[in-house]
Amino acid sequence: MKFLVTIFFLLAVFLNAKLISQDLEQRAQKKYGEFAKNRFISIQKDLLDKYKDADELTKLNAVNTWVNALRYASDRTVYGVADYWATLYEFVGKDKGDCEDYTIAKYYILKEMGVDPHKMKFTYVVYRDRRGALVAHMVLSYLKKPNQKSKSDILILGNNNKRVLPASQRPDLLKMIKMINGDTGPKSKKWKKLEANMKRKKL
Amino acid sequence: MTLFKQMALAVSILILTILGAVMMQNYQSAKKDMVEALYQTTVNNISTLSNKLSQNANIPTLMREVINSQVGTTETDKTPAIIKSIIDAEFDSGYYKLIEFKTDHYDYKQIDMSPPEGVPSWFINFANIELKPVVGEVNSGWTQLGTLTVQADANIIYKALYRTFINLLYLFSLFSAISILAINILLHFILRPVKMMKKQAEAILKNEFIIQKEEPYTTDFKEVALAMNSMVTRVEEIFRKATQEAKRNKELLYNDPVTKLYNRRYLMIKLPELLTIESKSNGGTIILVSLDGAEVINQTLGRQEADNIFYEIAKIFTSTLHTFHEGIVARVNGTEFTMVIPNCEKEDALGIIERINKAFNALLQENKLQTTQVKINIGAYKYTTGVDVSDLLTKVDTALLKAKADETNNVYFYQEEFSNEALSKTQWREMLDEAIHTNSFTIQFYDAIDTQTKKIFHKVLTFNLLSKDGDTYSYGEFIAPAINFGMTTKLYLIILDKLFLEHKYRRIEENYVVRLPKEFLEDEDMLEQLSHLFAKYPKTMRHHLFFEVTDSFAIHDTATLKGYVDLFRKYKFGFGINSFTGEANDFEYLKEISPEFLKADVNFLLDQSTTSMAALQLVANSLNVEIIASFVTKQEEVQELTKYQITKIQGPVTDNF
Repeated sequence: MKFLVTIFFLLAVFLNAKLISQDLEQRAQKKYGEFAKNRFISIQKDLLDKYKDADELTKLNAVNTWVNALRYASDRTVYGVADYWATLYEFVGKDKGDCEDYTIAKYYILKEMGVDPHKMKFTYVVYRDRRGALVAHMVLSYLKKPNQKSKSDILILGNNNKRVLPASQRPDLLKMIKMINGDTGPKSKKWKKLEANMKRKKL
Repeated sequence: MTLFKQMALAVSILILTILGAVMMQNYQSAKKDMVEALYQTTVNNISTLSNKLSQNANIPTLMREVINSQVGTTETDKTPAIIKSIIDAEFDSGYYKLIEFKTDHYDYKQIDMSPPEGVPSWFINFANIELKPVVGEVNSGWTQLGTLTVQADANIIYKALYRTFINLLYLFSLFSAISILAINILLHFILRPVKMMKKQAEAILKNEFIIQKEEPYTTDFKEVALAMNSMVTRVEEIFRKATQEAKRNKELLYNDPVTKLYNRRYLMIKLPELLTIESKSNGGTIILVSLDGAEVINQTLGRQEADNIFYEIAKIFTSTLHTFHEGIVARVNGTEFTMVIPNCEKEDALGIIERINKAFNALLQENKLQTTQVKINIGAYKYTTGVDVSDLLTKVDTALLKAKADETNNVYFYQEEFSNEALSKTQWREMLDEAIHTNSFTIQFYDAIDTQTKKIFHKVLTFNLLSKDGDTYSYGEFIAPAINFGMTTKLYLIILDKLFLEHKYRRIEENYVVRLPKEFLEDEDMLEQLSHLFAKYPKTMRHHLFFEVTDSFAIHDTATLKGYVDLFRKYKFGFGINSFTGEANDFEYLKEISPEFLKADVNFLLDQSTTSMAALQLVANSLNVEIIASFVTKQEEVQELTKYQITKIQGPVTDNF
């Protein structure tokens, strides 16, 4: 009996350790409805399962396209604060988020798909939008090789451009300010908070 | 609080204070270091950030002010995106509470007010870390762009400090526990002599004399222990001397040196007590034996041998008497011996006399003495309780004369023609049965008084019987028949039950005394009966009730009495001895049962020589026993007693106080 309980417990932990779990789907349905639930099922089915054995570039494109389909909204309208790093679950569940939320979502899905997190950087940039205004922006950078030497070595996954392009083909990104690691390097306060929220699958 | 506890407490408090101070010091310096380190880091960070801001501010295209273009927001923001981006990147990648950049045109800030996590709120209030914000200037070329304010997040310190604090707390508890334990063990060791002294002192109160053999390590204690030891030795010496003195005095005063029997003096003191109605005996027999031919014995055998013969004769008397506890034998003069035997009927007395005659004749034969020259005559008289002493002696003298006059028989038994008892045995038995059945007894008290304060210090309980015809019989009248019919225990149980359970006695505030007769104490069931009775007995009375037994019972049945005394002590009842006559050879039995008072006949007390009285008082003091004089009838006696510092009395004279 004790043995069975242990097995069951380990199984539950294992299942929960996956990015998308059944428990999560149920909670999402309860909180946000059928639509949200289907979105999570879609992550599992249309991304994780479907591109399991695909090459990294295909994965990048698929994830970029899927995540960019979510709607944009500022943190102030969604969370009532100036700046908030939402979990993948909050973002997908609410179907609203800002540039950081897109970046976080892409990062976690790609990591789950087997993309080396060391290759992915959270990148602070200054971006010029279509009307010519300058905006403080964040994108996910993918390093094609370590110790990148030129702009063409970096692929940019942003929410303002549907396509995954090398940085050299993104003149709208006027300046790169800083690249920070995901959960691979030294962690900042914000990161620790996000990580804790991700772990408990905060919806 | 004991010395040990006080010292242990003081030392423990000291240890706790010292350790507490050390720990607090540790904690404070840890806190200071952490705050300092974080401040330094912040200073470094602000310098880097300032550089970055001023470098980028040199790129004019990036410094264009923009109207925030984000969809759905109405807020306007004049902060250039480059500034925002730099500050956001720095803020997000570090541990900051606040980064603020202020210029004449805009003011951009990132702030995180969330409380520290993983640290209890009491600790946040307790630690109360104040991190000063670091302020720096940002220049672009020669012009000042604005001021930069950076404040590190104290969260990281709270966490680290909390861990340190908990670790220190564990250490503190561990150290405190170990030191307090060690100190207690040490103190215990150091203070052991004090405990030992306490034991010695307590033992002295119980007349045991303990010597501390082990010399204490501490010098002060060593001296005290030595002093204590010599004191104990001295007290023991005093006690031993006093006991010896008392014994010797008693012997000189009351014993015949040749036969070791009591002398006339003792008999005269003891007689009133034996005859009093309070002695609970239904009368008895007095036997007077006279020896003829003492001079013949002296001449034929010599002085030395003659004394031996007298000693042998004395042994005849004592051995024939040994079945009667309370009987006494005295050599009243050179050739006459008196035996007073309470509760002895004529038949038993005749048996005793026969045995005396036989043993005496055997003794004569053994020593080849002529029965014609050396012989004894015996007069006997069956007395009833309450008889007058002189009357008794006259009658037994008359009996002896008649025995001497009768040449055929050396024994004459004097018996009264009529009985003093108005009631027949059958009538008594019926009346007692009836009274026990209907519980027709009334409790009465008579006072024992302190002559100095004129206050009653206790009351002695007695009880009367009410017959169905309405007559009242006093204790002295019905107790003898009751003893004869074996009703004593029943009678006393009824009285005790009444005393314990009737409302008016339960609320009694004075001390009072219940005298338990020998017949009651001898009954093997009574110990258990009493303990049942005490168990249901209200606690409010406990400090006021004393029990009293006779000295002779205490001497002869010390072991039995011990059982009762233990029971009394268990229920916090007092206990005392009455009819004390110094009969015992030593006072060991008093040590064993340690009574609170000794009641002795006033005649006995006043008859003591000064030295023997002093010895008695010394023994009484050393045992912490109070001497009370009983049967005091005259004021003169009261004054005499006062000379001996005996102020507590009972008897008829108390009616006049």
